[in-house]
Amino acid sequence: MSNNHASENHTAEHHEHPNYKKVYITLLVLLAISVLGPMIGIKALTLITAFGIAIVKAYMVAANFMHLKFEKKYINYFILTCLALMIFFFFAIAPDIMKWEGRNWKGIRPEISHESINGHGHH
Amino acid sequence: MSHSNEHHHESFFKKYLFSTDHKIIGMQYLFTGMFMGLIGGFLVYAFRMQLAFPGISVPGFGVVTESGYNALVTNHGAVMIFWFAMPVLIAAFGNYLIPLMIGCDDMVFPRLNRLSYQIFLLSAIILIISFFVKNGGFGGAWTAYPPLSAKAEYNLTPMGAPLWLIAVALEFVAFLIGGINFITTLMNSRAKGMKMYDIPMVVWMIVIASILFMASVGPLIAGAAMLLFDQLIGTAFYDAAKGGDPLLWQHLFWFFGHPEVYVVLLPTMGMVVEVMTTFSRKKLFGYKTFLYSTFFTGILSFVVWAHHQFVAGIDPRMANIFTVTTLLISVPIAEICFLMIATLYGGSIELKTPMLFALAFVAEFIIGGVTGIYLGSSGMDIYFHDTYFVVAHFHYTFVPIAIIGLFTGIYYWFPKMFGKMMCDTLGKIHFWGTIISFNFIFIPLFFLGMAGEHRRIYNYQNFPDLNTVGLFDLRKLATVSLLVMLAFQAVFFYNFIRSLIKGEKAPANPWKANTLEWQAPSPPPHGNFAELPEVYRGPYEFGVPGRDQDYWPQNQPN
Ligand code: HEM
Ligand SMILES: [Cu+2]
Repeated sequence: MSNNHASENHTAEHHEHPNYKKVYITLLVLLAISVLGPMIGIKALTLITAFGIAIVKAYMVAANFMHLKFEKKYINYFILTCLALMIFFFFAIAPDIMKWEGRNWKGIRPEISHESINGHGHH
Repeated sequence: MSHSNEHHHESFFKKYLFSTDHKIIGMQYLFTGMFMGLIGGFLVYAFRMQLAFPGISVPGFGVVTESGYNALVTNHGAVMIFWFAMPVLIAAFGNYLIPLMIGCDDMVFPRLNRLSYQIFLLSAIILIISFFVKNGGFGGAWTAYPPLSAKAEYNLTPMGAPLWLIAVALEFVAFLIGGINFITTLMNSRAKGMKMYDIPMVVWMIVIASILFMASVGPLIAGAAMLLFDQLIGTAFYDAAKGGDPLLWQHLFWFFGHPEVYVVLLPTMGMVVEVMTTFSRKKLFGYKTFLYSTFFTGILSFVVWAHHQFVAGIDPRMANIFTVTTLLISVPIAEICFLMIATLYGGSIELKTPMLFALAFVAEFIIGGVTGIYLGSSGMDIYFHDTYFVVAHFHYTFVPIAIIGLFTGIYYWFPKMFGKMMCDTLGKIHFWGTIISFNFIFIPLFFLGMAGEHRRIYNYQNFPDLNTVGLFDLRKLATVSLLVMLAFQAVFFYNFIRSLIKGEKAPANPWKANTLEWQAPSPPPHGNFAELPEVYRGPYEFGVPGRDQDYWPQNQPN
């Protein structure tokens, strides 16, 4: 980079480094919780431990290991815009894609009722 | 981070093949892109001959078979968008211009920049290989809709289809890397004193285009990976028989595909602005309005994608929403066209070749935009969908963007890039030959479309309604005009090479423009500026009252 910026950036670039070990250990603890969570067998709790903790972990990795914590402000706006677009995208295609209960990954053919398609059945 | 005075005597390979200099990388993209553009042109020549004169052996190609026709159309579209328009407009001009125009010595990540070109080159090579493997290249259209694209039994190209998809995915990776470089460079390396509103419009446009690309390409890369799995390891993301859904692909594709139009449009608009202000000696009318209109267009471009699927069986409630957003997007775009025209108003216009191309861009692009209004209304689109009306419409946007945009840029920056002037008379011959023949290609296609000519059909003799002398005359007119247009490109290549060898030597600032690249020597050395410039004002201070010169370079201290 050109020299004239070096002096300006000097202070900005010497931020505290995150305590990587502490973050790593926290992540491991969270991982253990998210593995243990489903074993208790309460559905709502499983949802919280699985998805809730995943969000927390993703945030910690992005903020500390990827240094987004120390980025300029507009990074946040950018991420928020992308999130908003993603949510819009999801809800806009949901009526087309989510017609059948979520078994698609199993490769089972959906059960289409012939009565509802042809308007008459055979008994 | 580059240090300009470390590289002095480099070997040929280091200097031209493995260079990290943004100017060399820009040229590599330029020449690779132009070469691929010629391939795209050759493909369209082959299939337009088949359409006008069905069954003949096309000179230089041979007989076009049914599946050969599909492969030609598919690869024409893909090559033109991904391997010609994008590399030339974004990567070539972006790499060449951004550091020069914001007054720094190189990109922030020069080696990442070189990696981006190398991945791009690899993708181009894989694509070309895909033409020659068993059963030839992929033939499922550039949109690659499944189920046709997902199964070798349907698309008959067991090797061509995966290779095509891998090539496209690599190309995306190359442009993601390049785009990150552009964005960080603009944000971190601007010359001292250059504020946000002092940035030349073309730099803004290329960077906004990179942001749009970054934000839109993710879903498609994920979708492409799933498609590759469907092709190769038997998953069923898009296979309705096994519970998948082909509509999912269409959504993923067009969520990327529509913003993609703006990704290639914005750089061209930026180049047109630079040329228009310089050759009319006028300030850009409404710099901020222009910029904010583009932002608005960019955001809107993400919420219109389903207008490509009005007849694909999407939920009809969505068709209403997407009709509205689609028509809405014409507002900022029209605004931008008005700003360009207002810039010209009262200017002292000089009709040099770059200016002719810039003016032609606005004129032709407006035809593309206006015909898009019809297609954006879901009711009309039910009639027009997949006819040649659509083909004519999107070529009235893409040809101005890609071809006219390329020539606007080359004729304008050639003196800077190569230190020689191009011949203006030859340029004008090339201009008129290209523009007139271009209109005679695509105006007939509007009428063919309205007559019901469906696209992606290999031989219209099979359809009694379309097998009439009148319609074949229109088809022949389009094809002959294409031959004329291709022939006139020879004038350009002659001019290009002749100017390189014995063109008049170019001064640093032949057009008397304000932006920083013209303050560097022509061509600029490694490191660009002897001393990094300092910026005092915006880029379009032409004809400022009370000054004896009609221009006022950004780095001139009063
Ligand atoms: C001036 C020369 C050109 C001519 C004569 C031409 C002609 C055509 C024709 C006739 C088709 C439709 C074929 C069919 O649907 O059966 C087509 C498709 C297409 N063209 Fe062009 N084209 C030209 C330049 C371009 C450029 C510069 C671009 C983009 C930058 C472009 C992008 C496309 C795309 C995306 C398709 C759709 C391909 C598909 O459906 O898979 N074309 N072209
Ligand atoms: Cu669109």
